[in-house]
Amino acid sequence: EAGVGGFYQNKKTFFSFFFILVCDPADVISTVEFNQTGEFLATGDKGGRVVIFQREPQGEYNVYSTFQSHEPEFDYLKSLEIEERINKIRWLPLHNPAHFLLATNDKTIKLWKVSERDKRAEGYNLRDEEGRLKDLSTVTTLQVPVLRPMDLLVEASPRRVFANAHAYHINSISVNSDCETYLSADDLRINLWNLNITDRSFNIVDLKPENMEDLSEVITVAEFHPHHCHLLAFSSSTGTTRLCDMRASALCDQHAKLFEEAADPSHRSFFSEIVSSVSDVKFSHSGRYLLTRDYLTVKVWDLNMENKPVETYQVHDYLRTKLCSLYESDCIFDKFECAWNGTDSVIMTGAYNNYFRMFDRASLRDVTLEASREVCKRRAVLQPRRVCVGKKQKETDVSVDSLDFRKKILHTAWHPKENIIAIAASNNLYIFQDRLTPNGHHNTPEIQSAPPKWQTQPNPPTY
Amino acid sequence: MEYKVEAHRIMSISLGKIYNSRVQRGGIKLHKNLLVSLVLRSARQVYLSDYYSGACLNAAQSEREWDITDTEREKFPPSTTECDRVESSEEPQKNERPEKEREYRENDDEVKSDQADCTSTLQQEQNQNSSQDSVAKVSSETLQETINEPKESPSDSALAELDSTPEANGESHQPPKTHVCSNRKRSAEESESGDSPQKKTKVASSNAKEGEEAEEMDTSNVSNLITIFGSSFSGLLSKDGAKPESEAEDSGQICCDQMLKNLNPWSTAIVAF
Repeated sequence: EAGVGGFYQNKKTFFSFFFILVCDPADVISTVEFNQTGEFLATGDKGGRVVIFQREPQGEYNVYSTFQSHEPEFDYLKSLEIEERINKIRWLPLHNPAHFLLATNDKTIKLWKVSERDKRAEGYNLRDEEGRLKDLSTVTTLQVPVLRPMDLLVEASPRRVFANAHAYHINSISVNSDCETYLSADDLRINLWNLNITDRSFNIVDLKPENMEDLSEVITVAEFHPHHCHLLAFSSSTGTTRLCDMRASALCDQHAKLFEEAADPSHRSFFSEIVSSVSDVKFSHSGRYLLTRDYLTVKVWDLNMENKPVETYQVHDYLRTKLCSLYESDCIFDKFECAWNGTDSVIMTGAYNNYFRMFDRASLRDVTLEASREVCKRRAVLQPRRVCVGKKQKETDVSVDSLDFRKKILHTAWHPKENIIAIAASNNLYIFQDRLTPNGHHNTPEIQSAPPKWQTQPNPPTY
Repeated sequence: MEYKVEAHRIMSISLGKIYNSRVQRGGIKLHKNLLVSLVLRSARQVYLSDYYSGACLNAAQSEREWDITDTEREKFPPSTTECDRVESSEEPQKNERPEKEREYRENDDEVKSDQADCTSTLQQEQNQNSSQDSVAKVSSETLQETINEPKESPSDSALAELDSTPEANGESHQPPKTHVCSNRKRSAEESESGDSPQKKTKVASSNAKEGEEAEEMDTSNVSNLITIFGSSFSGLLSKDGAKPESEAEDSGQICCDQMLKNLNPWSTAIVAF
């Protein structure tokens, strides 16, 4: 089983981890995203701030840059306050000393350039070191300014602002594999942008009915295919996921594929529609599968089969009998994200009580882990958790009734190549790292100069 | 009957959520409100199906019979109808929450009494236009109403009175209750008259704490939410065009329930009388 789901090689240990806690009680983390190499991890929060972490050579992530991306705004025409909360961050795959990312709130997308400066020019002729104009009478010779090293300064500057294109709340952005365009999706529409053009965008999906009374579904998430620049997927509140081909027509209201599973009639309740609403969609790295998350399950879909998923995993089925109280508390509207690992062999998603779940697709085994300060000690190995519906079978079991529904893990991210995961629990960020080698035969020493690498890739990307 | 209680509770919760969503920061969340409206409709369907399968013996009455019944009822002082009595006896005593259910029923009766004014006025206005189906539904709902006073003579001015004066029903009301009543009637009117966008805007602004909303999205959202009370997000309901009217009254009744629950016990007692 070399190269597949490393953390199941040793049944006793799952992840030993480093953790970083970012404590800012005012700001709940609202999005987490690794860049394409995994060297950087960006988080956005409810206060409109972006915090970028960089991976140190030793393997730890430390704060690299912090900046205020969005501010609260007021729309005078509609008498609406526009929240500054960062809904999504997506990195651009540019190969440039600088790093670029897109950050969006409900209405406006911004392209940020994050660059380092470690040199400074000194010796200007007309200005002194503080920038004040020199008295020209004191200048007797000309000098060429020289670059001198300075303390590393990381600067973030907004390079583009893509505004006024969405009448409804933006829920997703996704960069195309062509690296030239990206999409932004709100409740009813998806727009296609060119990264260099801010004053116009093309509408490619429009679900708005002529009569708003006829509204029956909204767009929840949209994403571009990782390799095919003409394909995009979007999910809806009705539990369907559509694949659209932009080559077919300018307006992709007609889907190329519709992924929908027939509802189980035995599960019918007042809340069936809410529970089936898809809260996240992720293409696999290979581009062959789709991962969808609804309130109680995660499903893996083969792009070639529309009528049912190839795999369904129960995240917290014990909540099925509690839907009414979850509706009352608004918890049933929580939008959980999901993630693939780098080899598409493991799926991860969050749950309540600061639990998050992982599913190994090959062995069909799953684990529940907890991200909380009480449990997470430096370099300690996470112990699996179990939620029991009835009587406790083990001491470590947790009863359903004692779950804390205010502690929810909505945002998770998996390093694109390694077994490093970022978990956002309210205003705290946890980063966990696996210390096992892929084949599990040797326990690596705790401190290592370089993280373990996969030896084989079971699912090479297809083009 | 437990289902009815549960459905009623879910409807109240849903209405509360829709109501609160308007004052939330960041504007109305379309996705959440859509989902809440679906729950509201499901719960209402269960509530009504329970209702109809209960003791409503006159559900199949024709329009003419309904008129006669209504006229007869006008003559009689507050007293429970046959339906009321039948339903009371059918209510199982071993209900989980007997007190609460009694409160619901009391509220139902109170609401229906006010509703009687509205609906009778409506009824006479829409005599010629209503289909048999919608009238049948209206009649079924109003069968349980308790009339607490002689009705005013129906006229267009009565509608206006209801809007402006709380004494329309002959006694002092909490403004929200009359407010809701008039909105329901207006929305029912509108659904009958074809739902022009301007009227929708009016309904939205009269019911909401917000001011006039000029922008398309919020107007359509809010008025959409209001017209849920009049006509749901279509596509899943039957295409019966007359449904909106009856739903308006259903939802109006539910709306009244909601508002009534928010009133303090004393005013509730006054209203009941």
